[in-house]
Amino acid sequence: MYTLFIDTHYISLHLALFKDGKVIEEIIKNEAKHSSYFIPLLKELLENNSIQFEQLSGIIVVNGPGSFTGVRIGVVVAKMIGYCKNIPLKAISFLQALSLKYDKDVTIGIKDRNGAFVGSFDKDHNLKGDYFYLSNQELEDYPEKIIIDDSINLDMVYKYLESKEVIPPHLLKPIYVKKIEVNK
Amino acid sequence: MMDTYILAIESSCDETSMAIVRNGCEVIALSITTQMDTHAKYGGVIPEIASRMHTEAITFVLEDCLEKAGMKLEDVDAIAVTYAPGLTGSLMVGVEGAKILALMYHKPLIAVNHLIGHIYANNLENKMEYPLLALIVSGGHTELLVMEDDYKFKKLGETLDDAIGEAYDKVARVVGLPYPGGPNIEKLAREGSHTYSLPKPVMDNTYNFSYSGLKSAVINLVHNEIQRGNEIKKEDLAKTFQDVAIDELVRKVDKAFKNTGIKRLVIAGGVSANQYLKSEMSKLCQKYDAELLIPRMLYCTDNAAMIGAAAYPKYLRKEFSSYNLEVSSSADIV
Repeated sequence: MYTLFIDTHYISLHLALFKDGKVIEEIIKNEAKHSSYFIPLLKELLENNSIQFEQLSGIIVVNGPGSFTGVRIGVVVAKMIGYCKNIPLKAISFLQALSLKYDKDVTIGIKDRNGAFVGSFDKDHNLKGDYFYLSNQELEDYPEKIIIDDSINLDMVYKYLESKEVIPPHLLKPIYVKKIEVNK
Repeated sequence: MMDTYILAIESSCDETSMAIVRNGCEVIALSITTQMDTHAKYGGVIPEIASRMHTEAITFVLEDCLEKAGMKLEDVDAIAVTYAPGLTGSLMVGVEGAKILALMYHKPLIAVNHLIGHIYANNLENKMEYPLLALIVSGGHTELLVMEDDYKFKKLGETLDDAIGEAYDKVARVVGLPYPGGPNIEKLAREGSHTYSLPKPVMDNTYNFSYSGLKSAVINLVHNEIQRGNEIKKEDLAKTFQDVAIDELVRKVDKAFKNTGIKRLVIAGGVSANQYLKSEMSKLCQKYDAELLIPRMLYCTDNAAMIGAAAYPKYLRKEFSSYNLEVSSSADIV
């Protein structure tokens, strides 16, 4: 039982392969050009473990928030594999994945150059309200404590998603938080 | 020879399209979903929205295309994709989609230039014979080329500033026509007469084009008429603009016929759907006893079938791309 993990939400490309719920290989590459490196790394990960796509029993994809283009690459590839090979897809936001490390109500942020994506979670890791974006200044002035974090625990992610519903590939979408110019 | 089936993907602007094309000339299936209504609300294509809609559409379009063809991905021989030119984010959706398909099904990946795709759209109608003159007219490009053989291009001239389609869209906005401007200007021009005076763009010995001066002249004219309290006769302005814009193309192609002795003209790109352009070029071709090739409307606008057609010569020559393939917003043919 192999599960593929895909995270392209920000600068580092993060791929992992689980076998029966345990990580057997993990690739992290800090490289802004996801479009150039992602598929070659995925190929490498599967070849290293002599895995064919047909042998995957699940895909976990981080569907944001983060760089619009970065997230999209992971989501498009996950959708295509899920659709073509009929492999169950599950998605998790990077912020929710971080919340799994905390067994209490938390507000968590992930930094990018100009600020941070923020989400508040209850102790069961359910999102309270919506995700939002704070500029560096707004982050400093924010009245509540925001935990800034950037490393998730893959075992926790796998376990948390075990009981969660599968998303049909057609309906998988990135989480977009920042407003684009025309909609401001 | 064995038949070759290429699955092609096109996502360079606001259409998500996939096609299966046999031997570079026969369309087995074509699926296109357009975002035009969404972008019309903003008066033009918004790149980030386009990328989002491609992401949502990609598996639906794939499913539709395979269903229409009655084929499985295992049955195709190669995956082709537009990698340039276009909107970077939009191209990326198609390119990553193509790469993962190629990887999953162990198929070669073929990178196709969108403009070359527009030229090869003609092979979906009649096999192109060489040498030929190729005029590319779209929202982003205005170029005149000589093609001596498959993928053998020599550039005669190109626009020094704006593309013709861009000028059409801009003029449409100035006279208050909705997006997409080009087809609306053409429609309006049919009811007008050439009563205004606009300058002819490039009057030198090159094959180059220019549309920014013409565009500015229209803006100034409208501005001046408004200041004088005169009403703009929109249909007359549309007709005058169109006459000058198309004449710019006709003069250069006329010169190319004269100087090269080539007897074939292919018109490619979105503006090739313009009926007035078609009739003027048809007159010109009669004058030189030359053959005029323009794909039918469906293949003039952005579609993946033309990408499958353009991928075929590359397939035969085994010009395949690696999984590192990157998109490019601007890629010259030569």
